[in-house]
Order: sequence, then C-alpha cells, then structure tokens
Amino acid sequence: MLASRAFSLVGKRALSTSICLRAHGHAGVVKADDFSLPAYVDRRDVPLPEVAFVRDLSAQQKALKEKEKASWTALSADEKVELYRIKFNETYAEMKKGTNEWKTVLGGVLFFLGLTGLLLIWQKHFMYGPVPHTFSDEWLSAQTKRMLDMRINPVEGISSQWDFEKNEWKK
Amino acid sequence: MANHSQLGFQDASSPIMEELVEFHDHALMVALTICSLVLYLLTLMLMEKLSSNTVDAQEVELIWTILPAIVLILLALPSLQILYMMDEIDEPDLTLKAIGHQWYWSYEYTDFKDLSFDSYMIPTTDLPLGHFRLLEVDHRVVIPMESPIRMIITADDVLHSWAVPTLGVKTDAIPGRLNQTSFTTTRPGIFYGQCSEICGANHSFMPIVVESTPLTYFENWSSLISS
Repeated sequence: MLASRAFSLVGKRALSTSICLRAHGHAGVVKADDFSLPAYVDRRDVPLPEVAFVRDLSAQQKALKEKEKASWTALSADEKVELYRIKFNETYAEMKKGTNEWKTVLGGVLFFLGLTGLLLIWQKHFMYGPVPHTFSDEWLSAQTKRMLDMRINPVEGISSQWDFEKNEWKK
Repeated sequence: MANHSQLGFQDASSPIMEELVEFHDHALMVALTICSLVLYLLTLMLMEKLSSNTVDAQEVELIWTILPAIVLILLALPSLQILYMMDEIDEPDLTLKAIGHQWYWSYEYTDFKDLSFDSYMIPTTDLPLGHFRLLEVDHRVVIPMESPIRMIITADDVLHSWAVPTLGVKTDAIPGRLNQTSFTTTRPGIFYGQCSEICGANHSFMPIVVESTPLTYFENWSSLISS
C-alpha cells in the first residue's frame, strides 16, 4: 500500500522532470496538470506505467487495437511497433541513451580553470613585489646544507635522503 | 622544520609525537577506506547501475549500523590511549616557564638558578646566510636531551600558543592561567615552532626554537647565559 503510493509519487515527480528534460512529439499525451491522476512515466525500474502513453487514439489506431485482440502472429512488424508506441513513449534503448551534458560541464570547468590561471598570471606580473632574498639559489643551498648538518627530519625526511658518507643525495 | 612543500608531519622528536604519527596513519587509512567506498557507490549511482526498488532491507541495515560502530571504536581506543598518555607526568627533570608577550616569548628557568630571558625573532634583514627566515630567534630554549621536561605556559597580555610540531606540543598561553605540558626529546637537535594563536600584528613573527643538547652542554649554557 505504502509502496504503491510511494511509486506513484515518484512517477509524478519523474514525469514532471521528463517533461522538462525530454522533448516528446506524440499527440494526445496526458498533460500532467492534475498530479492526483495516474500518470505515464519512462523509468527503467517502473516497466509498466499506470496509463498508456497515447490516450486519445485516432481511427487508424483504434482499428489496430481491434486487430490486437485477435492472434498476434497476424500482426506485421510495423504494426507491433505502432502498438508499442501507443503504449509507451520511449524504448529502453532510448531511455538509457545518455545526453551530451558532460561535455558542457567539462568545458565549463576547464574554461573557468583557465580563467583563474590567467588571473594568477596577471597577479604575479602586475601586483606582487619581489620574493624575499632568502629565496636566492645561494641562500637556498646554504640553507639546505645547514638543514642537513642539523640532521633535520632524519627518519623519513630530508636528512634521510642524503648520503653523509659519500656527500651526495642518495640514489 | 618543514620543507617548502611539505604536506605531512615532521619526523617525530618525542615519544608522544611518534604515537601521534602512528595514530594519524591509522585514522587516515580508515578515512581512505570509507572515502573509496563512497566514491565507488557514487560512481555506480552516476552510471545508473543501482535501482531504487528496495523497500525493506533489514539485514543490510543491521550491517551498516554495526560496522560503523566498530570503526568508531577502532578509532576511539587508540585516540583515548594517547590522550591519557599525554597527561602522564613522570617526574620531570626540569621545569621551565614560557610566557607569551606581544610579540616575543620569555622563558624562566627557576629550578636551580634565577634564569630568565626574552626570545625575539631575528628580522630577515639581519639573518645570517643559510638561516631560516621567520624561524630563528636570538635566544633559544636550551634543554637537556632525553630528559622529561615540564613546561608551564602562560601569557602576559593576549592569547598566544606555544607550539613545536616535531615534539607534538601545542599549548595555549592564556593570561591569568598556567597551562602545563611535558615532553621528552629523543635526540639532540634544534626544533622550530611558531606562535599558534592569533595575537595581533606580529603573530606570525614570534617563533619558538628549542635546542636539545646533552646535559653537559646544557649546564655550560645555563652558567654562561645567567652571567
């Protein structure tokens, strides 16, 4: 009881979403103005929606529905497809088909990353002053030597990577 | 001190810090496992490989309640063990006071002599070649190595915090209050730290430098500096 109510709620939500997202070209589609009425939904985990997709059948479609009451082997392939399209909006293949939205998202992300990069380059060039003199190569090498002499981080850090016997970095 | 792009901890120079590093490795592994699981489920959901037809799942609900409880216990037990370990004060050989001011530290060694001095950062313009910018001080805190040291931390004006990462020490310096911490250095060396509570304009420019030396050198130093 609760499950079927939950499903119909889900179905209505999915229908309103699918109306927004997917274009549908069939005439006679149930307009989901009244959410208390049973609605059609294309969902992989709801295989049999509460109503058929096409509600108002044309004369030709009505004739086909009459033919359906007889033996199904008499139906041609096209007729079977037409019957399917009366009952359902999309095939499973159409439902599972992805969109190209990921390309838009990825493009947007990369664009803004690039924009930020340009901003950073501009900042470094026009805004910031020079770095302190302790970043010169001479100072850095004296500093590194002092760190090694002090045995800073000797277990897994910098002093563990220096070979004190051979006076060179460990290979 | 840390390298320029160091992300992880500095190597431990005290037993408590060794314990903290191990616990951090353990906690990080737990976090990695959980994050991998969540990432996996997220990927499955985004590829639409998970259906939502389930309404009743008592067994899996039991598992995903019990399992996180076990994970939390696995985190809490070592954490509490280290917490209590930190509070053990085992007969310190030396007690010294660190007092935070705006913007320098002052230290008092009053166990045997009446020794006190201020410790100011060395400005970058006066820095000798190869010394560490914003980390060096004029008077270091010299202590004997491999001896339990008790620190009493307080402040003179505003909040400061006395921190030395490699020793696993960070204690707030609060005016009108004496906070106690202790550590034992496992090796000789010079250990750097920085004030860790915002205290005004020069908060980034009042570092802490602890020099751990064998006892004879410490005694040498203390007799020299008090004269």
